[in-house]
Amino acid sequence: MLEVRDLSVKYGHFMALRGVNLTVQPGEIVVLLGANGAGKSTLFRTLSGLQRSSGGSATWNGTALTTGRPEFNVAHGVAQCPEGRLLFPDLSVEKNLRLGAFVHRRDASGTARELERIYELFPALVEKRGAPAGSLSGGQQQMVAIARALMARPQLLLLDEPSLGLAPLVVEQVFQAVQRVNNDGVSVLLAEQNAFAALGIAHRGYVLEGGQITLDGPQQALMTDDRVRSAYLGV
Amino acid sequence: MTIVLQQLFNALALGGVYALVALGLTLVYGVMRVPNFAHGGLYMLGAYLTYASLDRLGVGYVPALIIAALGVALLAALLERLIFYPLRDAPHVHPMIAAIGVLFFLEALISHPSVFGPDFKQIAEPLPGILNLGGVTLTWQRLLIIVASLLVMWGLNFFLKRTLTGATIEAMSQNREGARMVGINTNRVGMLTFAISGALAAVAAALVAPINAVTPAMGEVMNLKVFAIIILGGMGSVPGAIVGAFLLAFTEVFGGFYISLDFADLIGFTMLVIVLAIRPQGLFQRGT
Ligand SMILES: Nc1ncnc2c1ncn2[C@@H]1O[C@H](COP(=O)(O)OP(=O)(O)OP(=O)(O)O)[C@@H](O)[C@H]1O
Ligand SMILES: [Mg+2]
Repeated sequence: MLEVRDLSVKYGHFMALRGVNLTVQPGEIVVLLGANGAGKSTLFRTLSGLQRSSGGSATWNGTALTTGRPEFNVAHGVAQCPEGRLLFPDLSVEKNLRLGAFVHRRDASGTARELERIYELFPALVEKRGAPAGSLSGGQQQMVAIARALMARPQLLLLDEPSLGLAPLVVEQVFQAVQRVNNDGVSVLLAEQNAFAALGIAHRGYVLEGGQITLDGPQQALMTDDRVRSAYLGV
Repeated sequence: MTIVLQQLFNALALGGVYALVALGLTLVYGVMRVPNFAHGGLYMLGAYLTYASLDRLGVGYVPALIIAALGVALLAALLERLIFYPLRDAPHVHPMIAAIGVLFFLEALISHPSVFGPDFKQIAEPLPGILNLGGVTLTWQRLLIIVASLLVMWGLNFFLKRTLTGATIEAMSQNREGARMVGINTNRVGMLTFAISGALAAVAAALVAPINAVTPAMGEVMNLKVFAIIILGGMGSVPGAIVGAFLLAFTEVFGGFYISLDFADLIGFTMLVIVLAIRPQGLFQRGT
């Protein structure tokens, strides 16, 4: 279980997160809604060990994630598909995926098995496996980014705005893939501005505003909440 | 015809040396995003370590080359820890100036009378003599340079393309944040890349030392050339460094032969200016 308690993060004097509380239970998909600059990526980067926290705690099954050492967090089952994807554009799709399994580098057979599973999950990537990742379409690159995170065999998958810049049909495909991953037992924390699609697959959700959680609840409650409807569903 | 072949042969040997030194510089630039102005100093140290191993330790040429490569690799990794790592978040000018300081420090240290002194040193050719192929005279040492540099480049390519550790170097140079995200220890990759760059520079120096004199200033001269090469090829590009190295070597050798040997360096840099006027990003633009 992911447990975030009173988490604060500062950039210099600017407080990007102010005492955030949030949990993700095993097997859940939890959506984190928030406008531009709300602090979603800051939270995700902190959970990945890429950003230092200035207060509070974040633990995964009791293990502290506020280490400042991303390799530790990945090795302990928390992998992220980041905003902007951060792929290795000149390396082949398959090499990108293999690097996703870097923390399992001593387990070649496990990585080979995972690679096969990934190609079943994203059949479109099979014929692109030798192509440079940067040559793929936006949707395909998003698939590679998710697949690369999955190659770490995470128990918790952090997805930072995977629908950004994608056509509605492609967004649907991406979210279907997320749901299948979740069905295999991976917990998912999903940051989105595209609230409609995200709430469609989520069990629960939080709303982050100005670095603070202002609202949380189960999927249905958020779907029908007036504030969510006007701010994130555009109705 | 034989004269052209003769020049071709000389240019290949020179290009091989340039390529080895430039490859290390471009790898380090790719990973650290900062030009290592101390690189020429590592090359110079490689030559002196070879000389010292031969002259003071009395070992053979191949062990001397290996000692030089290992010694400079270690020093380069240390340089990453002491200079580039602490300054990683400072403005880029800071590590650049620090690296220039290291270059001058190394030069002054080697020139000191109690170390090697300012005079040039000579290394005997391990394989003296020449091979005459229909009028083209090939010195064994140049042949050795060509073969050894091609072998080292092949090995480096194999390492970068076929091993996971090699892939971490390419990954980090293409997306540093992405590399951290998947759990690659970027500190370790940085040190490793520096060590490789040092070893490559030292091997190049050990190969060319028997032909050229070993002097404290040799690093500065090489610095200019390899920076020209990686700017020409595209900063951070591996194929760019190789193509740029041979292009510069061919221009220098043929320009020096057909125009004037005195102008060989000038011709090389003229070529650089012309290429950059046409392709400011260098020959091999990198993906972002
Ligand atoms: N490296 C940084 N240095 C200083 N301020 C930063 C830095 N990164 C983010 N911020 C600030 O922190 C706040 C939260 O940014 P963050 O990227 O976490 O928002 P976000 O919710 O992910 O937004 P978006 O939806 O646009 O991705 C913003 O005000 C941003 O300007
Ligand atoms: Mg963001």
